[in-house]
Amino acid sequence: MRMAILGAALLALSAPAFAEPDLTGFWNLSFEAGDPPADLVAKLPPDTVIIADTGVVEFPEGEYGGLKLKPEALAKAKAWKPADEMTLSRVCLAPSIVYAIQGPFPFEVFQTPELIVFKYEYFDQVRLVHMDGRSHPRADAPHSKMGHSIGHWEGDELVVDTTHIAASTITNNGLDHSADIHMVERYRLSPDGKRLMATQWFEDPAVLDNNGARFIQWAKQAGQYVFPYECDPAFALEYQEAGKAGQ
Amino acid sequence: MRGRALIAAAALACMTPVAAEAHHSFAVYFDSTKDVSITGKVTSFRFTNPHGTVVLDVTDAHGKVSEWRAETNAPAVLQRRGWTRDSIKVGETITIEGWPSRDGKPYMRLRRAVHQDGSLVGTAPFGQADQS
Repeated sequence: MRMAILGAALLALSAPAFAEPDLTGFWNLSFEAGDPPADLVAKLPPDTVIIADTGVVEFPEGEYGGLKLKPEALAKAKAWKPADEMTLSRVCLAPSIVYAIQGPFPFEVFQTPELIVFKYEYFDQVRLVHMDGRSHPRADAPHSKMGHSIGHWEGDELVVDTTHIAASTITNNGLDHSADIHMVERYRLSPDGKRLMATQWFEDPAVLDNNGARFIQWAKQAGQYVFPYECDPAFALEYQEAGKAGQ
Repeated sequence: MRGRALIAAAALACMTPVAAEAHHSFAVYFDSTKDVSITGKVTSFRFTNPHGTVVLDVTDAHGKVSEWRAETNAPAVLQRRGWTRDSIKVGETITIEGWPSRDGKPYMRLRRAVHQDGSLVGTAPFGQADQS
């Protein structure tokens, strides 16, 4: 009996310090994401459209996937010209997490009970998700492309609330969000731990009359790691040179 | 044979997702419904993010030389497909297939590149569901 109690105590000591799902690892986009689970969709706030520009799919000019743009935002998006982005000063500007999260680049997750770190390959971006119960800073605190993220667990789901995101693109085709955008992600592991899925919800009343969301799914790949990105703005010069030879 | 190969490549392009990624939107800049194939002599190969670029001198049937540029997926992605900064060499002749620029410039997005001996650059073309 005494041995059994001792064994149980040792087992308890050897167990992880937290019982939440372990998201640690290298995650690459799953190109067959399919439809989001109904219960994840049900957790999205009302008046939300799920936009279908995840992974390899992006919208052409003038397509916003059901997002309802305020007149000023629509006018700005219509005035946007693709070539404007292909300059030395702009081509290596990292997008905010609002757009960066949807693309086909991988990321690594490092997890502790107090802090979860997302290391993205895209533009070498690193994101801290504070799990220690802190609040967001005051509204006029500095903003950044990754924003300020706080997270908590709801059962087996990681819920991440992000504010203080510097203005940047939503859909990479002229539609920009404001610095007041608010984003909530809900992450869930598949039962076998090989897939990670998430809904990415956002509201930005200064720009949108409705709310937006994406459903994204990634696959775990063992033995891989994030490569350096180190964007070289000289790429813009290559684009600008196209068609000039012989003129 | 070559014509059939191009038709097959075009059909593949229609069946599979476009190779979007990196800073600028594929859908905005390139026409995924069209296919382009060029063969020429490499004058430059840049292997840096957000996109690599290959510059080719392409000679037409009349001997006129025109310059084409092909942008690749991000080298971060290319490296997982077996590409290195030495995969394409200045002076070699290669064939590049891909999608043309919407603005009509001699500019394209690379789907696959083939050396003169017929060997593929890297381990697999782009635009398929196993990308990156």
